[in-house]
Amino acid sequence: MTPRSFTEQDLHLALDGEMPAEDRAEFDAWLDAHPDMQVRLQRYRDDRQKLDSALSPVAAEVIPPRLMTALLAPPERRRAGLTWRFAAMAAALLAVGGLGGYLAASVPGRQPPALAYAIMDDAINAHLMYANEKRHVVDVAATEAGHMNDWLSKRVGIRLVAPDLSSQGFDLVGGRLLPVGEASAAQFMYQDATGNRISLFVTRYENRNDNRYDVMSERGAEAHFWQEKGYGCAITGTMPEARMSELSKAAYREFIKAVGI
Amino acid sequence: MDQKRAAILAEIPRLRRYARALLRSSDAADDLVQDALERALTKMENWQTGASPRRWLFAIMHNLFIDQTRRANRRGEASILTLDDGEALAQPSAQYETPESREILDVLQAVAPERRVAIVLVGIEGFSYAEAAEILGVPAGTVMSRISRGREEFRRLLDDGARRRTFKVVEK
Repeated sequence: MTPRSFTEQDLHLALDGEMPAEDRAEFDAWLDAHPDMQVRLQRYRDDRQKLDSALSPVAAEVIPPRLMTALLAPPERRRAGLTWRFAAMAAALLAVGGLGGYLAASVPGRQPPALAYAIMDDAINAHLMYANEKRHVVDVAATEAGHMNDWLSKRVGIRLVAPDLSSQGFDLVGGRLLPVGEASAAQFMYQDATGNRISLFVTRYENRNDNRYDVMSERGAEAHFWQEKGYGCAITGTMPEARMSELSKAAYREFIKAVGI
Repeated sequence: MDQKRAAILAEIPRLRRYARALLRSSDAADDLVQDALERALTKMENWQTGASPRRWLFAIMHNLFIDQTRRANRRGEASILTLDDGEALAQPSAQYETPESREILDVLQAVAPERRVAIVLVGIEGFSYAEAAEILGVPAGTVMSRISRGREEFRRLLDDGARRRTFKVVEK
């Protein structure tokens, strides 16, 4: 039987673990008979090792904060330049626990780092779900506003009063109770004369250190977040950005006035 | 952070390493990773949970790299520098780079991009030929030939560099 002949191509198959197992013995025999090919194979192996030593330190570096930000916050927010907090948060977490610590802290669910993000995410989801409802847009109608405010205050655990947005042409439709992680949130729904709806999502927010304003846009809706004295709020709607921004300022002003903080 | 984002986070070190093989400047490489992460977040539904997002992410980043290279070519920017250009434009290197690794990375940049990605995806990132073919959107046979040509080119360029260094010593 004539020994099977191999080519230089097979050196790569062998090096990359792509050679069929049944060819291996014959290949080794061929290699024994071709010292030049042995040298060549060893050279490719050494080159690969060199390349690995030059490139792999990159994979061991601490992940730059801007990449953490890109992952945690959608691009719309980054472009608006509102994400310094996420970068700082990511850097702090990496400093504390490295990647493993970060993952351990983050996988189980809603942890403080992404809280504002989580609130906006929930606010957008809830808005898209209920603003399009014809008949069941709220649990409690605006006609029972007094009862609604008391009930939601009790369930969310902070004093809540639906703010008056009539200066912006929006009337209160009513409100409902929503889950946010293991806690609760209130959603107040408003509607203008042409049928546009916006909602105000309110939950407890204990992170007093970050008193920033944030915006997220996703699935055609935009949420504007702010936090003030233990309240985390997001006003959500599908109107143009400039209008949403105007509404969020008015809602902030009116909310502060309504709950008396 | 949800589990999908956590799984993507775990791939960032590898994505950065691959990006450094695609682009010599560490800033440009991280820009590419950032673009890839942003793109991935908008296409989250294309990835089935349970499966590792690695191949999916590499494919996204690779496609962005190709787009970027095409745009640069249309604008008439030199996207491929020769070794001598690389030396002339020598930039402050990243902290971890030793003179030896710097030379190797410079040489790698001189390998034609389509061959370079093949030898890195398979040789460094450990993808099979079939997986690399899927990421690059080419047949497995093409990956195979790019690997053998790429390794040959890399070897020749390393030898050229070694020869050039010898000449420099002799001239002094």
